[in-house]
Amino acid sequence: MPKVTINDTEIEVEKGTTILKAAAQAGYEVPHFCYHPALSIPANCRMCLVEVEGAPDLEPACYSEVSDGMVVKTKSQRVVKAQKAVLEFILLNHPVDCAICDQAGECKLQDYYVAYDAQESRLRAEKNQKVKAFPIGPDVIYDGERCILCTRCIRFCDEITGTNELRLVQRGDSAEIRTFPGKELDNDYSVCTVDICPVGALTQRDFRFKCRVWLLKSTDSICTGCANGCNIHLDHFRNEIQRYKPRYNPEVNDWWMCDEGRLTYKQVHEDRLLHPTSNGVRVNWHGVTETAADKLGDAVADDGADSFGFVISPQASCEDLYLAKQFVEQTLQVDNLYLGGKPDGYEDDFLIKADKNPNRQGVAAVFGGLDQFDDFDQLIDDIESGEITSLYMMETDVPADDETRERFVEAVDQLDLFVLQSMHNGPFAEKAHLALPACSHAESEGTFVNVNGISQPFEKAFEPHGDSLPHWQIFMRFAAAMDTPFSYTFIHQIQDQMFQATEADEPEDVTQTPAE
Amino acid sequence: MGEVNVKKVNRIKPSLWEKSYIPEIIRGLSVTAKHFFGNLSPRESRRQIFTRAYPDEGTDYYPERFRGLHRLMLREDGQVRCVACMCCSTICPADCIHIEAGEHDDPNIEKYPDVFVIDELRCIVCGLCVEACPCDAIRMDTGVHIPPYTERDDAFFERDLLMQLGGLSEAKQGGNTKAAAE
Repeated sequence: MPKVTINDTEIEVEKGTTILKAAAQAGYEVPHFCYHPALSIPANCRMCLVEVEGAPDLEPACYSEVSDGMVVKTKSQRVVKAQKAVLEFILLNHPVDCAICDQAGECKLQDYYVAYDAQESRLRAEKNQKVKAFPIGPDVIYDGERCILCTRCIRFCDEITGTNELRLVQRGDSAEIRTFPGKELDNDYSVCTVDICPVGALTQRDFRFKCRVWLLKSTDSICTGCANGCNIHLDHFRNEIQRYKPRYNPEVNDWWMCDEGRLTYKQVHEDRLLHPTSNGVRVNWHGVTETAADKLGDAVADDGADSFGFVISPQASCEDLYLAKQFVEQTLQVDNLYLGGKPDGYEDDFLIKADKNPNRQGVAAVFGGLDQFDDFDQLIDDIESGEITSLYMMETDVPADDETRERFVEAVDQLDLFVLQSMHNGPFAEKAHLALPACSHAESEGTFVNVNGISQPFEKAFEPHGDSLPHWQIFMRFAAAMDTPFSYTFIHQIQDQMFQATEADEPEDVTQTPAE
Repeated sequence: MGEVNVKKVNRIKPSLWEKSYIPEIIRGLSVTAKHFFGNLSPRESRRQIFTRAYPDEGTDYYPERFRGLHRLMLREDGQVRCVACMCCSTICPADCIHIEAGEHDDPNIEKYPDVFVIDELRCIVCGLCVEACPCDAIRMDTGVHIPPYTERDDAFFERDLLMQLGGLSEAKQGGNTKAAAE
């Protein structure tokens, strides 16, 4: 193992480590634009130049590997001078339109200017002008003037997605990023180029001008778009999600996430059921709990447990499902279980999975397999034939095509008792005898188990919308009102018991993020 | 408890005439009457008023940098100078500025405030928004006080109203002339 000295700190690193990584291990930041840990290393931005004793020129730290006895200086006079020169060169034709740039606040050029340059422009001629606000793809907008030509986006399309849409065209100060003629940046992961863009050259159309990044609060969460469960930063402002950004997890999604998943945050704010209703009349939780306890008790007692159906949703978290299971088995004592959730959709061989529900594996873990669930078509048949007269449904998703969904929406009218516990109104909220508002994953904490069986926690970002409550708290209220109270107060008590019961490992913290 | 020294004071007993307070009332009212009639006098030098009938009499006696009602400055072509960077709404300690940014039809202007509302009742007239503005787009130099309102909605000054109070700024503003030419 080679021993290197970086700024008087001696450190032993593995063979083949680059100077940049070795410096990071020693606790020194080497500024860089073009280097990204997931992509190849072109060493074209020259921001990471460091002084190596014995070498005639400064060397790019991102590319040069360490050798035994190497002495590196990252803060010497020569390096500081080079960093200043590189930044002055990059900023020569930069428009400095931070006031209207979405990246301002999380821009590497901004940060490095303050940290390493901080001098006024010496340019006395007119700045070179390039294309502004150019729609390079359906979800991405390109600004040629802000671009520093680091080629991270080009390498992403070449190496990660393999779609090769982008190229560097022209030379010198007229060089720009462009797509090949007739093509546009429209792969399923195109917005990842916005994430890895160190400046504001590529911006996301959906997030454009929506919110300044310094106002955002970020919460670690999980994307609910499909069963892959990509780790995300859920960025929110004033109780509203503004965007999803991928969070590094080498086990699940690496640095990336799909464009479709990014926009699933809209479901959290659309068509929300905000207040409990009883036969369409708005009531409070106290009132609806008593009504529900009476009605549910009567339905099971009068018509028998066989005519009571319960739809479990793979959209809900494991904690919600764990209490749903206890509510079904101990409080209601019924066993006609059906599995709801979204129907299967598009999948690819990278991150997008066909199963569009974030927690199907969680249902299997909590209920001990999916065998005990009846087919959803069976539920519709049962309702139409009158075998099921009472239905308790979690979430409004129906795992079937439009035609079958229509059939189900009509069949619901025949029910004697229809209790809907959901985040969304859907077509069911006004038909439900009792409609109970539940929280989204942004308003409560919990655990999802992804398609590969990795259990992943997500955190609460903001307070619940309207009167909504987490699913598990609704079950707690109802169970208490029906004289079989659960002995939980906090969610961690459920988690402790649940992880013991399912013998699953507790979710571990994501490994430390390498420097981007 | 030690020995307590007691000093005897002879109390002055007021006469019945003094006890009735009539002379003191007359004395007090005469001062009031002197000011009252003095300030009604046609001769201005005899008046002793320290207040003014604002807004009829104007505010010419305010210092040069007095902070009053906001205004939004204009570009040469009459468009709003503001580029919706949200610096003012971020720094505002009273949280009284609401901005929603939009994409402008004019290619020379990329970002502009689609909605710009200042809650003038909530404003604490600190002037930080003016300090924060990188474009000289917002100023508080109208010399007019924030008027009192009985309806809350009246105090929401929207973009067009603030622009009516605005004027031209001498500061240079950037923009993409190439994009405008295309």
